Amino acid sequence: MSEDQDKFIADVVEKALQGDMDAINNIEDRVTRSKAKAALVKAKREAKAAATEDTSKSEESKTEESAPVEKSLSEKVAACLNEKFPNSLESEDVNGHIQMKDKNWFEIAQYLRDNLDFLFDSLQCVTGYDFGENEDLEVRYNLHSMTHNHAIEIRIKTDRNNPKVPSVEQVWRIGDWFERETYDMYGIEFEGHSNMTRILCPEDWAGWPLRKDYETQESYHGIVVQKVKDGWE
Amino acid sequence: MGVVHGDLMTLNIGPQHPSTHGVLRLKVKTDGEIISEVEPIIGYLHRCFEKHCENVSYEQVIPYTDRCDYIAAMNNNFGYAVTVEELMEIKVPERVEYIRVIVAELNRIASHLLALGAYGLDVGAFTPFLYMFRDRERILDLFETLCGARLLYNYIWVGGVSHDLPPGFIDAVYSFLDYFEPKIEEYNELLTYNKIFIERTGDVGVMPPEVAVSYGVTGPNLRGSGVKWDIRKDEPYSIYDKFDFNIPVGAGKMGTVGDCWDRYFVRMVEMKESVKITRQALKGIPAGDVHQTLPKKIRPPQGSIYKRTESPRGDLAYYIVSDGSPIPYRLKMRSPAFTALSVLGEISQGWMMSDVLVILGSLDIVLGEIDR
Repeated sequence: MSEDQDKFIADVVEKALQGDMDAINNIEDRVTRSKAKAALVKAKREAKAAATEDTSKSEESKTEESAPVEKSLSEKVAACLNEKFPNSLESEDVNGHIQMKDKNWFEIAQYLRDNLDFLFDSLQCVTGYDFGENEDLEVRYNLHSMTHNHAIEIRIKTDRNNPKVPSVEQVWRIGDWFERETYDMYGIEFEGHSNMTRILCPEDWAGWPLRKDYETQESYHGIVVQKVKDGWE
Repeated sequence: MGVVHGDLMTLNIGPQHPSTHGVLRLKVKTDGEIISEVEPIIGYLHRCFEKHCENVSYEQVIPYTDRCDYIAAMNNNFGYAVTVEELMEIKVPERVEYIRVIVAELNRIASHLLALGAYGLDVGAFTPFLYMFRDRERILDLFETLCGARLLYNYIWVGGVSHDLPPGFIDAVYSFLDYFEPKIEEYNELLTYNKIFIERTGDVGVMPPEVAVSYGVTGPNLRGSGVKWDIRKDEPYSIYDKFDFNIPVGAGKMGTVGDCWDRYFVRMVEMKESVKITRQALKGIPAGDVHQTLPKKIRPPQGSIYKRTESPRGDLAYYIVSDGSPIPYRLKMRSPAFTALSVLGEISQGWMMSDVLVILGSLDIVLGEIDR
């Protein structure tokens, strides 16, 4: 199957190089299409490099074409983490984000911040996520490096009934408020946080509002909450 | 033995207080006149933005984004539209991109005018506030001719903008820019280089760059600390890579790099840059359609996206997860003012009581965006 696909991609790239971009644009499957586009970019770059170098070297670059595509940043980070912190990745499959276990997250965060190759000095965003009723919860971290200007996304799953993730408040100071917000909305507890309280909702609010199975309270301090009518659009 | 402290007194500023720029409470612990701890208490304006978004369709989210940062609603619309478009992998017509840049930059000027004017009020200068509101009014008038609204525009839509420019709009913007540019000098004379103003803001509330980065502070506040970082330049979205403009950074002209005066001055210079961008955009605007043909109900493909744009307050980002239905499965807004406020406790330690409000004002927060 994958050999067929490779052949197909090589085919359309050939066509595109001759000026027929529709061959790529008409591919139905998104994954195949993006793979083809990546291959096209690579082919163009190599063609350019070959043009500037002398003919004997261009022979070499042709043989290099079969070499694997350059690793994306997420893949590099994942490979590095796998080596430094064995068993910390949920899956080795990197598909735009890194799926991690909560074990060692604090140490890993410190490592990612301080390692000179990555230098993720800025925690951009912490997003809580609910897979649905009776499913797991997830925390998603968007990291960014001011020095290298690159970014990755890290996801950590946690159990719905006892959601706990290590806190990174001490690594990135903004983690403090971001984690409090995630706690407020999803009830995910960040272990090691100095002040794990609600931030946007009142302290005596019941339930976790952004969970998919959240039910509105009937009344709050004597104020009756009106039911939203079903079916309006 | 450590430092000797007097008894700490707890003082509440707000929630109803003119200097808190909205409904914000500051729990301040003071040692005499000196601040030893500030804890911002937020949530008074929480309107469940993210929960609402999980119940309305993609188009219907746009009015909600207006109401998050009500001072710069165009930029909020813009960021959301760009994010959804990237998730759907669609391109909008060239004319739309130009219109969006023009209105976003005008709105940036309006937002900075309000920030600077209100900042003058915070330190006791009343006149600049009136001058700046007089000019901000002109921008609001322009927007009124554009879409009928003065504050909450609902103008930039996914795949386009709601209306094409009205006749004479481009000339009106040109004449506004011609009127406005010399006014910046006037503000400088009136407020920026005023002795009392410099005494109040120079060297006060210094935010070192590493603190700013660790707290996720972005936008003019980060640039005030001397870090050259602007999404429009470093990670260009829309057509910002076509324009020629500078990124002003704080230089410690009136004290230390990263003091209140630097943050203030960065905004002042940024208005000039916005004028520059607007002029270029007005010059290059092509004719054409202002809508991309889209299905009646937007259904982005399954997947997630995190996209940042530069709002007047900093990195405004949306994290959207789509499950293929016309309603967002999860929508998170990363608001720049939220991170800017979180740093207040750190940088106002050790300053006088009267400086806290000066530092708070220099961060230019909008509570609607913090509480969402």
